[in-house]
Amino acid sequence: MLELRLVQGSLLKKVLESIKELVTDANFDCSSTGFSLQAMDSSHVALVALLLRSEGFEHYRCDRNLSMGMNLNNMAKMLKCAGNDDIITIKADDGSDTVTFMFESPTQDKISDFEMKLMDIDSEHLGIPEAEYHAIVRMPSAEFARICKDLSSIGDTVVISVTKEGVKFSTKGDIGSANIVCRQNTTVDKPDDATVIEMNEPVALQFALRYMNSFTKATPLSNTVTISLSNELPVVVEYKIAEMGYVRFYLAPKIEEDEEETKPEV
Amino acid sequence: MSQIETLSLIHEIESLISDQLQVVSYKWLSRNYQISSDEAKRLLHEFVEKHEGGLEVVYALSGWLKSTHRSYHIRLVTGPKLAEAQNDFDGNCSVQVYSVQPSIPKDPAVLWNAEFIQAEELSKQPSSVDNCLRDNRFCGISNTFVRRNVDGQPAVSATPQIKSVVGLGSTKSNVVQPPPKNIAHNSIAKVDLKSQNVVKDVKSESNGTGNTVVHENINKPTAEKEKSLLLPTGKKKVQADKNGSATGGSLASFWGRPSAKPKPCSVPAENSNTISNPSATEKAQTCANEAEADSDDDNQGVLLRRSSNRKRRVVFDLSDEDEDVVNLASPEVPSKQSSQDSKQNDKNLLEKEPLNFDLPVEIKPLVKEERVEKKVFQPPREDLSVITKCTTAGKSSTEKLQSSAPEICVNKDSVKMAAPDSTKRRKVMKTRIDERGREVTDVFWEGEEIEAKKADMVTAKKADTVTAKKTDTVAKKADNNGSTNAVNSAPATKKPPATGKGGSKKALNSKDPKQGNLLSFFKKV
Repeated sequence: MLELRLVQGSLLKKVLESIKELVTDANFDCSSTGFSLQAMDSSHVALVALLLRSEGFEHYRCDRNLSMGMNLNNMAKMLKCAGNDDIITIKADDGSDTVTFMFESPTQDKISDFEMKLMDIDSEHLGIPEAEYHAIVRMPSAEFARICKDLSSIGDTVVISVTKEGVKFSTKGDIGSANIVCRQNTTVDKPDDATVIEMNEPVALQFALRYMNSFTKATPLSNTVTISLSNELPVVVEYKIAEMGYVRFYLAPKIEEDEEETKPEV
Repeated sequence: MSQIETLSLIHEIESLISDQLQVVSYKWLSRNYQISSDEAKRLLHEFVEKHEGGLEVVYALSGWLKSTHRSYHIRLVTGPKLAEAQNDFDGNCSVQVYSVQPSIPKDPAVLWNAEFIQAEELSKQPSSVDNCLRDNRFCGISNTFVRRNVDGQPAVSATPQIKSVVGLGSTKSNVVQPPPKNIAHNSIAKVDLKSQNVVKDVKSESNGTGNTVVHENINKPTAEKEKSLLLPTGKKKVQADKNGSATGGSLASFWGRPSAKPKPCSVPAENSNTISNPSATEKAQTCANEAEADSDDDNQGVLLRRSSNRKRRVVFDLSDEDEDVVNLASPEVPSKQSSQDSKQNDKNLLEKEPLNFDLPVEIKPLVKEERVEKKVFQPPREDLSVITKCTTAGKSSTEKLQSSAPEICVNKDSVKMAAPDSTKRRKVMKTRIDERGREVTDVFWEGEEIEAKKADMVTAKKADTVTAKKTDTVAKKADNNGSTNAVNSAPATKKPPATGKGGSKKALNSKDPKQGNLLSFFKKV
């Protein structure tokens, strides 16, 4: 028996919107600690890891560990039927092949039940080791989204390089090239607007902008984004989910061969 | 057959019909109880005479029609309509029990569903097993020109008829095709010299020239080329064995795995095969049956299904050195054709099967006519429906030939579309038989990485399968959407590369060798 009551139902809606583009089908794993998901995109280049800790739910009951295979697009469709202020309750019976989403309006005068069929998904769970990253950049998520969007109109890949001065996003394309540098800036009114760079060594890695852009779909979840880079590791783009968890996107870097020709990614 | 056996069989039929509510057709009966089809019909007739109530009978009437167009006609009618239908026939017509069932099914496909499943099972048996389907032993008609050899592969000595039907395609594609191909290859060789950069790609693409199977390597000796050429045309066993003499045993390995190879390429050829040569291999018949059954799976899907059975072909236009055409056409033609055919089928569906058994000799001229008509009809349609530009004179002949079997076109427009990315990837088709026995052709892009392995054909094939798996779902989806009309699905898959970005993620891995893989960083748990 599983029953998760999330008062801030819009969070779940946003989570789904942020990951459904990257992953079509995924297993949601429910345990006593929380509600989580790990899935790779079909080309095994990007991975999304979601955690919603049990403390974040108003009511969290999970009798035994449960893995529920869902089509994220279908789940998103159902969650779209929930109002932004609705309370969402996820319910599933042991051994059942469906999951029920219950939406309660804030005034309790409307209650909707949506039952979705589950599916069997062979998921490859990856063990992600805790790592020390060479550079960690925290910046406003909207800023990051803007940068990715702008650069993708010029090139297909972005080189993210972190130095003491700041973090530089650069791209090259058929029409020209672009560089955007964000300097460390902690003297702002709101802490969310700060750009904070922690760096042990300089890092420069190249990534496909397409994936970056799909990561930024999570922007509504959080005002800040944390980008962790290491030379031998996939980048981690993390959006915190208010007090209760996170969505992390991992993206394998492009292997640098010859830098002189930024081939248009065909 | 002794009286006792007959009685026991009749009892079994009775239990099948009344208890299991099965449609018992003479064909099914014949195969299931290993009796001849005539015997089966007789049994059914006896059965019907004994049990008049509580069951429905479908009769097969065959004879000349009274109408102004004198034509030989075979019609399936239900019991109550028998007399009425008989009036339509001129003089005497033969009346045989086609099937007996508890009730007349709404969907006529149910009539031959049982025997289709049966035929499928029989054809699934290992080729070493000699079953009644393979040796056609219960067929009502025998043709001395058709011999069956030990491993169940039909060997056909060239009858004049067949020659005109299939032989045209086969011999030509065998003999005529290589020369233009060689020319093409030469030109490629030149290109190779000229622009080292493109060599790899050009090569890889030229591999596909005229081959349905794209893995064939250009550099292989002619014999090999011929072999690859045979593959597409060799679908029909009739043909296969005829050609077989040239390439010998190595080909047999291809045909030994019936499931791996695509089904009959051209409907018209196929049909005419079955019709014009009534004794044509049971295999051909099975194919026809399958096709029919396929189309009956879903009445709406008749058209689509049938076209999904078509094979797609890659044709590369080598006339222009700068642009390597990678056009995957699977084109209008067959679907149109199939629509026509299926229309015809709808009408003839019922007639066709009995034809194989009951066909009297007089039919032949008529059927021949029909066939010729189709034959003549085809090329112009091809030209109309597909914007085909044959640039090389040699090619055009090749092309026409190929088009008579599956379908191809070299589309100039798509040249431009495909050109930019032709350096990176190429389209590869993977054909397989799905669990329901339908043929599914998946189209996907094969990247350079995979290409590198290509020297070894076997690995290449493996790689293909791997990649195929990934894109499978996509292709399948496309197929299901009814975009089986490959013209739709082909551009759909082609789009991502053409636009550069925004392509499907699935393709990304194979298309971008520089993109790292997460699996090389994290281990699976």
